Amino acid sequence: MPLPRLGHPNLGLGVGLRTVHFPHLLQHQPDVDWFEIISENFMDSQGRPRAVLEQLAERYPIVMHGVSMSIGSTDPLDQIYLRKLKALADAVRAQWVSDHICWTGVASRNSHDLLPLPYTEQTLRHVVERVRTVQEILERPLVLENPSSYVTFAASTMPEWEFVARLADEADCGLLLDVNNVFVSSVNHDFDPIEYLDAIPAERVVQFHLAGHTNLGTHLIDTHDGHVIDPVWELYRHAHHRTGGAATLLEWDAKIPPFPVVHAEVLKARDYMTAALTLPTSRESESSAPEVTVGRVAAVVPHPASIVLAEVE
Amino acid sequence: MSIPSPDLDALQRWMQSVIVHAGGVHQGIVSADAQAEIPLPVEQIDIVINPSTSQSSLERLAVYSNAYKARLLEVLISEYPALVHAVGEEAFVGLAGSYLEEHPSRSYTLADLGRAFPAFLAASRPPSQTEDGSPDWADFLIDLAHLERLYSEVFDGPGTEGQPTLQTDDLLRLSSEEWLTARLIPAPCLRLAEYRFPVHDYATAVRHDQDPPFPAAQITRLAITRRAYMVRRVAMEAREFGALSALANGLTVGDALQRVLADRSVTIDDLANDVRTWFRNWAVAVYFVGVQ
Ligand SMILES: [Fe+2]
Repeated sequence: MPLPRLGHPNLGLGVGLRTVHFPHLLQHQPDVDWFEIISENFMDSQGRPRAVLEQLAERYPIVMHGVSMSIGSTDPLDQIYLRKLKALADAVRAQWVSDHICWTGVASRNSHDLLPLPYTEQTLRHVVERVRTVQEILERPLVLENPSSYVTFAASTMPEWEFVARLADEADCGLLLDVNNVFVSSVNHDFDPIEYLDAIPAERVVQFHLAGHTNLGTHLIDTHDGHVIDPVWELYRHAHHRTGGAATLLEWDAKIPPFPVVHAEVLKARDYMTAALTLPTSRESESSAPEVTVGRVAAVVPHPASIVLAEVE
Repeated sequence: MSIPSPDLDALQRWMQSVIVHAGGVHQGIVSADAQAEIPLPVEQIDIVINPSTSQSSLERLAVYSNAYKARLLEVLISEYPALVHAVGEEAFVGLAGSYLEEHPSRSYTLADLGRAFPAFLAASRPPSQTEDGSPDWADFLIDLAHLERLYSEVFDGPGTEGQPTLQTDDLLRLSSEEWLTARLIPAPCLRLAEYRFPVHDYATAVRHDQDPPFPAAQITRLAITRRAYMVRRVAMEAREFGALSALANGLTVGDALQRVLADRSVTIDDLANDVRTWFRNWAVAVYFVGVQ
């Protein structure tokens, strides 16, 4: 039986590190428990992003979160990428390294999207084997996140929660449970999010993700562009109690507000660590993301879409 | 009709062909690439993709198709803001769409996505619209794209921060013999570019939320580098740029100055004065990191 959180510490309430917040962070050194970085935005950087990261890593615990491992792809694993990932993890003393249960491309292409897998025995065998290989290269357990998805495959022979649970146990890896993704997919695919959470091996959950999403009426999109809605907070409460708590991180990747707003959002998590099922009254509650009209669909970009932009004098 | 459950590899190749197809998912499904993996008439898409209670299988696949295009477009729009301003968003979307068709990402990082965009614009430019062959609108766009890409590469590439750089004293210590045969080591972030328009002013105006007009053609020589993690660009007149380029290309100081002297309008005295000023400015600007 693995240790809770696979033996990792509960880092507390963290925020996704975004370049727009660099000036604020350097000037104010806010009292944040920890930061999560998008690995790809730093692994090749020889400029300001990397310099700021190294400075922050002196003071704050850093967790690495990637979007390009493509653990489920039938293409060979990218050895150069994995070596760079390990080098960055060593350099910033990353607490752990995570990516998503997905594939991002095949035939040497990268769609830069987190594409869903068919949940079959074949896929399970394939991904388990690759996770083991990656863990050997990284010399640490991999932590994998459940993605948001917008299609399901007729070929799937098991629900996502069963796939995630079996993958974690068989590959002996950690899980990053994104409760917003569970909510988004539960609406898109008509399942009970509580059933999902209850099937996840609690002791393998190393980290939680929280985020906002966009409601398009017929489906939800994981845009990371707003506040966490109440049903997602309630799922978080449930997951927190099942697992005994784990490092919790808020992702805000589009229409990013000033840092204190993002930080305040993740601090709300404290309200949901209590067992009582009373909603806090000190703030406005949002029971669902406001519905966005279909005409704007083209402008709704699901996570991830982040690059580092040049600063020119 | 029943088809056997496709294996993982076929399903991935099929889905990728469908969602990256420029014509949308319907055309993607009937495309030869997708049919080679899963031969499937569009009406039978439910055999592969489940519909949901509120969306058809096609509508659900289209979420990925739309996201693919929107995401990559957003990346290019943010990397090339001045180019977007110059051509307008609609035309930019057209250009970027053709570019992405020809240069789909094969990299783990989005930082590589726009790398070949300036070269793509140069290769697909319309014939010159001026009778005397003077620079036109297309030349302006190509130069502007080139500069914006340089900014990205210089910003996040190797630099000189925290490392020793060439000081004026390092040169003063050399004998005149050593001085003429010395080669200077350029900073790894130094780029020298010659453009047909003042694209740097245009790019800066756009980044300051101004609305600059299409500028008149004017030979523009820029030294672009990074200091204190910020990209800096300096416009230069021809002689200074010529000397700097020669040195950055590995010529000795003597050979580099010889080149400038080849321009008969320059006297030795003028040159000596200029050289002093240049080297002082170049040391401050950190164009070189050492002497060889
Ligand atoms: Fe997430």
